[in-house]
Amino acid sequence: MTKVAVLGGGSFGTTLAHTVASAGRACTLWSRDEEVARKINETHRNPRYFQDRPLSPDLRATSNLEEAAKDAPLVVVAVASSGFREVARALGDFVRGDQVILSATKGLEPRTHKRMSELLREETCAKKVGALSGPNIAREILDGQPAATVVASRFRDAIELSAELLHAPRFRIYGNDDLLGVELAGALKNVIAIASGVLTGLGLGDNARSLLITRGLAEIQRLGVKLGADPLTFSGLAGIGDLLVTCTSPLSRNHRVGAGLAKGETLEAIVERLGEVAEGINTARVCKELAAEHGVAMPIAEGVYKLLHEGLAVRDALEDLMQRRPRYEAIDLDYSFEVPRR
Amino acid sequence: MRAEDKERAVTEVVARVLASARDAKAVEAAVADTIYHERRRLEKEKPSRSRDAALRSWDDRKRRLVSESDEQTKRELLSEIATDFAREVLGNFDPRVYHYSTKLLPLMLSGLLNATSPTRILKNLPELPSVKDRVIVDGEIEVARELKERGTLIVTPTHLSNLDSIVLGYGFYDQGFPPLTYGAGLNLFTNPLISYFMHNLGAYKVDRRKTARVYKDVLKEYAAVSLELGYHNLFFPGGTRSRSGAIEQKLKLGLLGAGVRAYVNNLRGGREKPNVYVIPVTLSYELVLEAETLIDDFLKEVGQHRYIIMDDEFAQPLRIYSFLNRIFELDSRIYLTLGSPLDPFGNSVTREGISIDGRGRAIDTTRYVLDKSGKPAPEKLRDEEYTRELGEKLVTAFHRNATVMGSTLLAFVVFEMLRANEKDADLYRFLRASEGDLAFADVSRETEKLRVRVEALAAEGKIRLDDRIRGRGGDDLVLAGLRALGIYHNRKVVERRGDRIVPVDRNLLYYYRNRLLGFDFEKDLSRNGAEAKASALTEGASARLRSPGEVPA
Repeated sequence: MTKVAVLGGGSFGTTLAHTVASAGRACTLWSRDEEVARKINETHRNPRYFQDRPLSPDLRATSNLEEAAKDAPLVVVAVASSGFREVARALGDFVRGDQVILSATKGLEPRTHKRMSELLREETCAKKVGALSGPNIAREILDGQPAATVVASRFRDAIELSAELLHAPRFRIYGNDDLLGVELAGALKNVIAIASGVLTGLGLGDNARSLLITRGLAEIQRLGVKLGADPLTFSGLAGIGDLLVTCTSPLSRNHRVGAGLAKGETLEAIVERLGEVAEGINTARVCKELAAEHGVAMPIAEGVYKLLHEGLAVRDALEDLMQRRPRYEAIDLDYSFEVPRR
Repeated sequence: MRAEDKERAVTEVVARVLASARDAKAVEAAVADTIYHERRRLEKEKPSRSRDAALRSWDDRKRRLVSESDEQTKRELLSEIATDFAREVLGNFDPRVYHYSTKLLPLMLSGLLNATSPTRILKNLPELPSVKDRVIVDGEIEVARELKERGTLIVTPTHLSNLDSIVLGYGFYDQGFPPLTYGAGLNLFTNPLISYFMHNLGAYKVDRRKTARVYKDVLKEYAAVSLELGYHNLFFPGGTRSRSGAIEQKLKLGLLGAGVRAYVNNLRGGREKPNVYVIPVTLSYELVLEAETLIDDFLKEVGQHRYIIMDDEFAQPLRIYSFLNRIFELDSRIYLTLGSPLDPFGNSVTREGISIDGRGRAIDTTRYVLDKSGKPAPEKLRDEEYTRELGEKLVTAFHRNATVMGSTLLAFVVFEMLRANEKDADLYRFLRASEGDLAFADVSRETEKLRVRVEALAAEGKIRLDDRIRGRGGDDLVLAGLRALGIYHNRKVVERRGDRIVPVDRNLLYYYRNRLLGFDFEKDLSRNGAEAKASALTEGASARLRSPGEVPA
């Protein structure tokens, strides 16, 4: 009987399902695409991602959601945020209150600004919901390189079950009860990752990157804390951990969006070329709305939003950021001071 | 509680308290903690024979705890202590007296006065109209009526006044409900007459001065046990009366958790009707008996709050009498509004007693409480999470079912407008200020705007409003509000002087205004204010109105 159902045959869903199956636990991968499911069962390869890489022969795939998730003690949803609610609603037809459901999607719903775990709560009867988030470049995990992730839930038994069923020799699980903080950190960091891609595209050096990561963390933490997150979450794997990797790895999708913009490509062309969803594009809009609603200063995110959606030039965005008034570093001290300008 | 159930309840409560102390160390710690807290409490009391006897008995227990070393003796000691607490809590309940008491309840309110002033009461009694016309029970009463047959109810009301439990007891009796078991503070038992009625309305005694862990466990377990025995319970999830006047935002979850515990035990015991249903109730008054004392306490410096207030308006029968008279004189209603029922996990429940998810699909709630082996079992942390979620749903329900009254509407507008004019002052300075007034016409306009906004929100089912303010014009609303706010308290809250509206008691103004917090009306008013300012500038009219700034809650 299936122990773990992974929903979504994208790069991360495939990787997670493979990791679990390789560790000897019955795992079913659901893909909306019948062809993908069939190919995985027949050839043990995902025809869309990592075609060079054979998947665990024990991994089963299906395009029937109920078959995949009905009795699985643990369900991990790894579909793009734009399709998340729909999948959650379909799950709601058969999911039961003792099942644990995790979101592995790092995004926020447009307009409602809701987190993925909130969508799970709204669309199913499950209470034991949570999120899986951390510095997890799919390719590296698939190659068996050491990695770790955070499982966050308000329910301790949900965290314990997830750790038991998801851990693998090269894949560690850490628990966290700050679900809100972990989800926000995972979603918001994608906006900063786009800015980091811009630095790469402009050929800027490590000082600039370090500046971006540090101040980027400060502002997403500022918003997170305002919304009720634990500030310490942002110093953990799901916070600085994830931010570091997405801001430095050229494999990150959001990073590639920024790099493309810096090289003068249009957003449409970049999205077309990526083939997969870069959550940061949507999150930048949500982030701007949240920041305005809660009165939180997020200059970097605002710059990224203007780059993406208002056609601001890269040079101007950078100039705006560098010309801001001097201020203190501490996140809760929003105090700036005058310096004479030349 | 019926006599035969009472012995069962005591035994069961004591057994559970003992079971929660797993080993010898835990037993010793529980006993030592109780001795410490009880001795400390008693030492602070005025010397009396009963106090001295109690102290001696704790000294004796202390000696026994120290001299005996085996676990069995220590367990017996714990059992003895828990049994004493349980018996003290349970008190007496006689169903025949219940029936009799509820019938007399309207009279009892005035009967209270007999204790102090028989002549006064006799003189005024004929003028007292019936309580029945004043207490309006509305909302999902029919659903609750169905559910009481399908399972056990936990009625969870907001808490403003010590009159709440009497009003609730009466309202539910009048609607044909069986008595609600509830814990009432000792101060409600000090008057022998009221104490008699309280007991017989299903009240059990809660002594909030007792802070020992064992005592609190006895209370919590008693709530669960009585639910399991099929007694509908009443919990005030806010813990105490709202000091600020605002609707409860944070709840005390300890007692509320009895819902899940009882449900799990019912499943384990294979009971026929295992379900527990939570009924949110919002109480809305035009005036609040103890408003002056409560807001005073709220405004005391941090750390000086009194958790237990023994000497407030409720302890003054004449004050209660005057309060009731004013309510009658105003032709005012007390609303007791039942919200949609919830299960102990915070899910909605249908009239048929079935829990449903956000999309209306039936939920098998037994699944929430299975342990690893697939059997229903309690799990402390898990169940606390469920209770936390239930608490969040209750807070939402409290707001949706609040009824806006003329007094709160006017208080809100006047407070926000004044605050906007004096926004540089911190809250405390603002409340102490004696200058400052408003133009009647401005207040009238803003009050009508807010009334329109309230009605729009009511149409969405997010709040309710008193019929007597629906559709009314600004001047009417202001006059009705002034009348209510001027009739009962020692000082008027606000008054009219010519064409000016003048705050007289700003603390009370703040108190009544706070009832409408949590609906974002502040923002509406500030938008309105900004518009008014713009038009004032163009028309050259009154420029006094400024947009209100943030008000610290």
